[in-house]
Amino acid sequence: MHKYNEHYVPEDIAGKLGESFLRNPLTAVLGVVILALGWIALSTMPREEDPQIAISGGGVIVAMPGATPREVENIISTPLEAKLREINGVEHIYSTSKDNVGIVQVMYHIGEDREDSNLKLYDKVIQNMDKMPKGVMQPIIKTFDIDIDVPIITLAFYQTDPSKLSIAEFNEKLRTLKYDIAGIENVAKVTLHGAHKEQYNVKIDVDKLTGYHVSLGMVMMAIKKFTAKAPLIKGETNSGKIVMFGVDSAVNGIEAIKNIQVSVYRGDPLYLKKIATVEKGIDEQNYKEVEFFNKVDEGNSSSKIGEYTPQVTLAASKLAGTNAVVVANNILELIESKKEELEKLGIGYKVTRNYGERANQAVEELMHHLFITIVIISIMLVFALGWRESLIVTFSVPAILAITLFIAYISGQTMNRITLFAFLLSLGLLVDAAIIVIENIHRHLHLTKAETQEMGELLVEATDEVGAPTNVATLAIIMTMVPMAFVGGMMGAFMKPIPYNVPVALLASLFVAYIFTPYLSLKLLKKPKSTDPYDAEHNPYDICGVCLNDSDEKEEDSKKEEK
Amino acid sequence: MKKIEDFVYWILESRFRKNMVIGLTILAFFASLLMFPTGAVLARMLPGKNATTFSIYLDTPTGSSIKETKRVAHCIGDVLKNEKDIVDMSFFYGQGIPLDYAGLAKGSVMKQAENEAEISVNLTPTHEREEPSFLMVSRLRPIVNEQCANVVPGTSIKFIEQPSGPPTLAQIVVEVTGKNLKQIRELSHEVADILKNTKDLVDVDILSDEVYETYKLVPDIQKIADESLSVEQVNNILYLAFQGMVVATKNSKNKLTQIPIYLVLNRKSKELEGDGVESLKAKIEGLNLMNRRGEQTPLTELVKIVKVKSNPTITHKDLKRMINVIAETDNVSQVYPLLDARSKMMEHFKEKYKVETAPISTYMFDLILTDKKTGERFLIRWDGEMKVTLDTFRDLGAAFIAALVLIFFLLVIYYKSFAISGIILGGSFLSLIGVIIGHWVADLVTTNTFFLTATSLIGFIALMGISSRNSLLLIDYTMGLIHYDDMEKKRAIAKASATRATPIFLTAVAIILGSALLASDPIFGGLGVALISGTVAAVFVSLLFVPVLMSNTAAICKPETIEAQKAQEARKKEKAKKASSNTDDEKETKKEDKK
Repeated sequence: MHKYNEHYVPEDIAGKLGESFLRNPLTAVLGVVILALGWIALSTMPREEDPQIAISGGGVIVAMPGATPREVENIISTPLEAKLREINGVEHIYSTSKDNVGIVQVMYHIGEDREDSNLKLYDKVIQNMDKMPKGVMQPIIKTFDIDIDVPIITLAFYQTDPSKLSIAEFNEKLRTLKYDIAGIENVAKVTLHGAHKEQYNVKIDVDKLTGYHVSLGMVMMAIKKFTAKAPLIKGETNSGKIVMFGVDSAVNGIEAIKNIQVSVYRGDPLYLKKIATVEKGIDEQNYKEVEFFNKVDEGNSSSKIGEYTPQVTLAASKLAGTNAVVVANNILELIESKKEELEKLGIGYKVTRNYGERANQAVEELMHHLFITIVIISIMLVFALGWRESLIVTFSVPAILAITLFIAYISGQTMNRITLFAFLLSLGLLVDAAIIVIENIHRHLHLTKAETQEMGELLVEATDEVGAPTNVATLAIIMTMVPMAFVGGMMGAFMKPIPYNVPVALLASLFVAYIFTPYLSLKLLKKPKSTDPYDAEHNPYDICGVCLNDSDEKEEDSKKEEK
Repeated sequence: MKKIEDFVYWILESRFRKNMVIGLTILAFFASLLMFPTGAVLARMLPGKNATTFSIYLDTPTGSSIKETKRVAHCIGDVLKNEKDIVDMSFFYGQGIPLDYAGLAKGSVMKQAENEAEISVNLTPTHEREEPSFLMVSRLRPIVNEQCANVVPGTSIKFIEQPSGPPTLAQIVVEVTGKNLKQIRELSHEVADILKNTKDLVDVDILSDEVYETYKLVPDIQKIADESLSVEQVNNILYLAFQGMVVATKNSKNKLTQIPIYLVLNRKSKELEGDGVESLKAKIEGLNLMNRRGEQTPLTELVKIVKVKSNPTITHKDLKRMINVIAETDNVSQVYPLLDARSKMMEHFKEKYKVETAPISTYMFDLILTDKKTGERFLIRWDGEMKVTLDTFRDLGAAFIAALVLIFFLLVIYYKSFAISGIILGGSFLSLIGVIIGHWVADLVTTNTFFLTATSLIGFIALMGISSRNSLLLIDYTMGLIHYDDMEKKRAIAKASATRATPIFLTAVAIILGSALLASDPIFGGLGVALISGTVAAVFVSLLFVPVLMSNTAAICKPETIEAQKAQEARKKEKAKKASSNTDDEKETKKEDKK
């Protein structure tokens, strides 16, 4: 009745792709390569919790000792604001005028290039240096950098046994540790919060000051006099040789400071120790302290510390575009290797922030989520279409994600909260193309003409048939996602990964559906050997499990037996 | 499948039943839209995030000492330490916590005064904890404020949560702008009072200094000149005495830093006994300055002590004097309290000022006040998360409309018919019914308020694509049946609905199962619910509503164009072959019989 051996000519890109890859031995290789690339991207892609938003801005701090806020406002803030307003790309300018100091902050539009913005700010300030009012100190320009300034890891260090180290020694130890960490690859900025410095504290008793008839100024001068350090002096011998010599600092150690002579009182030298207490301690004028409260586990007595223990927080940030997980782990490894040494010195520590771990958890959670979803969908498909068909769709999900991930990786994106959101969003959409193609193949296989049609041709035809509407529909979905790329401001920058990744995932889903679904169908699916076109049981349109492959097979088996 | 085919055919047969479907759909659409104004579904930009950390910012009044700040911090610590989910806390005095995402926009880095402190609180991991962090914060906030805000009167304690979206200064930011410094200070206090009395608004704070008492030492210029001293010397000696100064440093070979020598009065000498002119005078008495002749002059002879008020900081935004009043919402959308507070403000300021409202823009909530006596103008501007939300919706809305137009043209190019494209686009819009009802149901089922959020909207946008894909496949197949198989229109539509029902169901189930896990997530829950309920609605729309519209439009049965028909002549042959062998359709069976 019909000539089924007549070659089917695909019209749509779907059929064409399907045809050219159908019997190509490289298709399998391509599949493996795609999965491998995806795996590489997954394991090496920088992970971080929040997406990077290019916030550019900076502040100019101008000090003017003795000026009131109103004076600062008139002389510093307002003229400076007006000047900075001239910079292209500035969104808002804020200023605070306080006693003695004016601070002007510049916020650029989101997405302005950071280096350019910083240069423009410096340029503007330096250009107008000649217009600076008199009595004003050199302006300080501070630009900010979100990647470098937001630490990815913080550690609280505290003394479990204060008798082992003095506070100064404890701080000194942490300072060494800080430089060790700064040396780790991709670590950007390491800071210590609540750290104290060693210092000689000279505390003067006013009563004695008056008693010995000395003024505070004299004491200050006396200390300055004896602590001056001069460079080496070059001398020459008569034979032309150079001799180097120099005056050593007169003050070496605490005893020397105590014995600095301030003045002469009734013929006797008046030493510093007579009017003041001198001690080697910490910079107690620095009120920027940090305290730690750690809930102690019952039974773990080694970490027992007081309720509000002084601590020093070490915070480290990473360079832009690097993997938070790797950097955080490297830092922790280094500290772990020094744990024993620290314990001996009576120093305990606790990780109080680890964005690396959080980013990792988020990614792992997604992987877990994806895995469960794929399992659920494939089980559903086993019932609806058959296990072979289900297997084919199940393969397509990791393949699509692999392509998307790899493209995200090479386009310099990082794996963060919002990228994951984009993947979750596309998850429901990804399998659609594959399901539509496989369903149509399944339907064609159960048509009467399937008996005589060559398998490959049938697959190509089935793919081609749904190609055009699927293409248009996918294009339509892509078009709904693309507008998000044009949302401005902070929110726009924040959700950029969605318009970047969802369309890629959808396009990938089309290609995977057109290339791999027919290919795998050829390998896995078989034409039902005998189908009775009028058998209601074989109604191929029923989704309710009537057309289960298993039942097909059973019936086939029974038919065989009959034969 | 036959059942679906018969059912669709049954509907299509009667004009009344068709109108019923259209009527019911439109009714459902408007009924679901009504859920917004009635408050059955509440909208919010982004929901709270279940994080493992939050921080507390505390500001004692300007001019408070680090000791007072510490006392408040310890009070907070004492309250929080009994919480079983709190693992550790770090108290940062006179500085911000190491910068985090929330602190970026809140000026955390600029903190350096003695009256400022931040506490970083770490919680147990999210999956080990029943209470999400945003509910915990909302529960602890009143307790902490009640117990600790009065340790030092005038203290402001703010709970800062990790934002689920981009960081902002605060959820509600009111900028009071004007020329008259004194009046904008007053206005900002009035605004703050209104915000404090608005339901669901918490952590209200005025971002300006409090005025406190200071003492001015007025130098007696004549005397200073007589003694051949200078004002600078007077300044230095006072600074050295009370604040201390590093007078020299000592380098060290085996230390990483220089060791400074710090000079200051001892505690007994510098501590004041109470605040007052007399006690300050008593302390200064012992300080002497030495003139060139080597004679000591007591400092008290050179200066006169006067009590004055401190000069508060002046803040500008874009060259205008401005004071910020900020507030956070207590786990609700910021829209409703904002509107509430705004109408209260209009009422409150009516007496003294002429109140005008701003035109439609993303600053549309602004109020312009004109003083009835002086004619001076002040601006009350709403910024913060509200502004971000409005800006986002404006951009997203505009871009989305552009996308709809593009899709429409894409469909017109594909089908060469406005009517069919219109059906697809219109049909896809109806998934909104499902999205809204889904949120309403989710809100009923869950104990907390379930908000319609930005993620729900993104879900809706994706759904539009999904349901237009359904309609597309359906129409394509119907056209195929009509054009190539010469099937009667209603029968073709019914058959297409039945045949396409399988992939429509399968993809719908895939989406529903794929999003089921999402629905329980605090942030992505909106997306999950939108996808699940929207898909259900989309299935009904695709299988019932779209067929009805299809049968009503003339475009479906009209052959597209002659050229197109010719071009598809070859394909028609193929299709005819295939269709004639189609097994389960009675029509075709008949056809085959005839042959």
